[in-house]
Amino acid sequence: MELRRKASSFILPSFVGLIYLFLYAPIIVFIIFSFNKNPYSLKWHGFTFSWYRDLFASSEVAEALTNSLIVAFSAVFLSVTMAVFYVFYGLGSFLNRLTILFYGSLIAPEIVLATCLLSVFSFLNMPLGIPSLIAGHTLLGLAYVVPIIKSSYEEIDNRLIEASMDLGATESQTFYKIIVPILLPAIMSGALLIMIISLDDFFISFFCSGPETLTLPMYIFSQVRTGATPIVNAISTLLMVVSSLLILLLTSFKIKTRFF
Amino acid sequence: MAKRECGVVREMSDNKFKSSVLGASENKSFAMALPAVLWQGIFLYVPVVFIIGISFLKGLDGSVFKNITLGNYDTLMNSSYFITIYRSVVLAFSTALMCLILAYPTAYFLAIKVKKYKNLLFFLLILPFWINFLVKAYSWFFILDHNGFVNSFLIKIGLISTPFHILNTPIAVYIVMVFCYLPFMILPLYNSMAKIDKFLLEASSDLGATAGQTLWHITIPLSMAGITSGFFLVLIPSFGEFVIPTLLGGGKTMYVGSMISYFFLETKNVFLGSAFTCLSGLALIFVALSIYFVFNKIGKKNMGVK
Repeated sequence: MELRRKASSFILPSFVGLIYLFLYAPIIVFIIFSFNKNPYSLKWHGFTFSWYRDLFASSEVAEALTNSLIVAFSAVFLSVTMAVFYVFYGLGSFLNRLTILFYGSLIAPEIVLATCLLSVFSFLNMPLGIPSLIAGHTLLGLAYVVPIIKSSYEEIDNRLIEASMDLGATESQTFYKIIVPILLPAIMSGALLIMIISLDDFFISFFCSGPETLTLPMYIFSQVRTGATPIVNAISTLLMVVSSLLILLLTSFKIKTRFF
Repeated sequence: MAKRECGVVREMSDNKFKSSVLGASENKSFAMALPAVLWQGIFLYVPVVFIIGISFLKGLDGSVFKNITLGNYDTLMNSSYFITIYRSVVLAFSTALMCLILAYPTAYFLAIKVKKYKNLLFFLLILPFWINFLVKAYSWFFILDHNGFVNSFLIKIGLISTPFHILNTPIAVYIVMVFCYLPFMILPLYNSMAKIDKFLLEASSDLGATAGQTLWHITIPLSMAGITSGFFLVLIPSFGEFVIPTLLGGGKTMYVGSMISYFFLETKNVFLGSAFTCLSGLALIFVALSIYFVFNKIGKKNMGVK
């Protein structure tokens, strides 16, 4: 009996250990190969930093990175601003009921969103490129950031607002000195989330970036498809480092997002 | 007077109170709230209607009424395209099921059993969730290739003499799908289990329930919300998955995602492509609803203990 209990208390932790191994082994092997000397082999040939040097020298990577950052920052700015305005001005009115509309882009598979966007842009004869990417990423961003800001806004204690008005603050003073600071953690975590989602997105980039605009995910995809050198491993390793730092920042805000 | 005002304030909902105090009342400035709604409408809902409409057309020249046809759907029904939808449903469902089987014990351990290093373990679990999807898929090349990690290891310990060919087969697609979508399952499960009151579990075992009975009658019903949302978080995106079958399946077996991109980007047959998108959307809605009903039934059944 004692033995059996000991055995069963051992099974669960080792199962979980295997899950962690499953989740991390490919990524660790992948990172190790960003230091591999031989570019076209999946065998280890010795340690080198040269792929990181090539990475920073490559104009293609620089272009892709610039485009991706432009799109990501615009999407963050647009969706956060629109979401704050929506929550602040819309919740008291009939628009409140339309909040459910924002869940549409979370429920539909991303490939459907991408084909929809593509059809709109080609039907209106608008050129594909950075604007269409910003449109798509803002669409995704709104779906994540509106619920976050909304729930944080609803938690604000009405007495704070009353007190501020009683003590003689004007409406705009109350908005900027009371509401915005209280919403700030939600705004920041929403912004970080959109940043990561935009840099990670594949479908919208694949369908709507057009033939000339190169973004980071598209760069990686085309490289992988045609046989990649360890430059791809190097850039992905750097991306991973950046996004894990962002996640560390995000968890420190302690805001409840959809997935945490 | 003051009393009446107080009553009025209380009658208003919280949101109404905030906006009326701050002068953002309905007639004044709800226009400021419109951009977000319009953005959603223009780039998502109008296009959805547009795609549904276009799926019933055979061309755009001439009047719209002349072009109305059911031919697109007819073509799809009578062709091998239809089997790709079935294949994607099977892939998505089996991926979600495998993720559930692997994720449930993990989330249970993390949310209920573990006490030391809980934050670190949790952080390590959410990290893969945010790693670029392409990178996650590509990393398996190094594991599964015939010179890769698995084969070298198996040959070294003498279990096999010639390398396995796993890459570019449906097995590779399945393994990597489970790998990529596992975090989508673990997180909602963890969330719902972290909320379970530990005293309930203690009470159950104090009152003589075995570990299995506690699991079946207490833990699973209380984590049903997590199971449902995790299942859908995996099922829906994996139904339209494109990257993994393309990169690791060798592009030989077609799934819904690869089919849609084939119609829209390669043959540029928007009309047939729209019909295919609508048809697969319908299939997905049907599957999702049936699963939802089944989960609902299970949840109710073991909630009402005997």
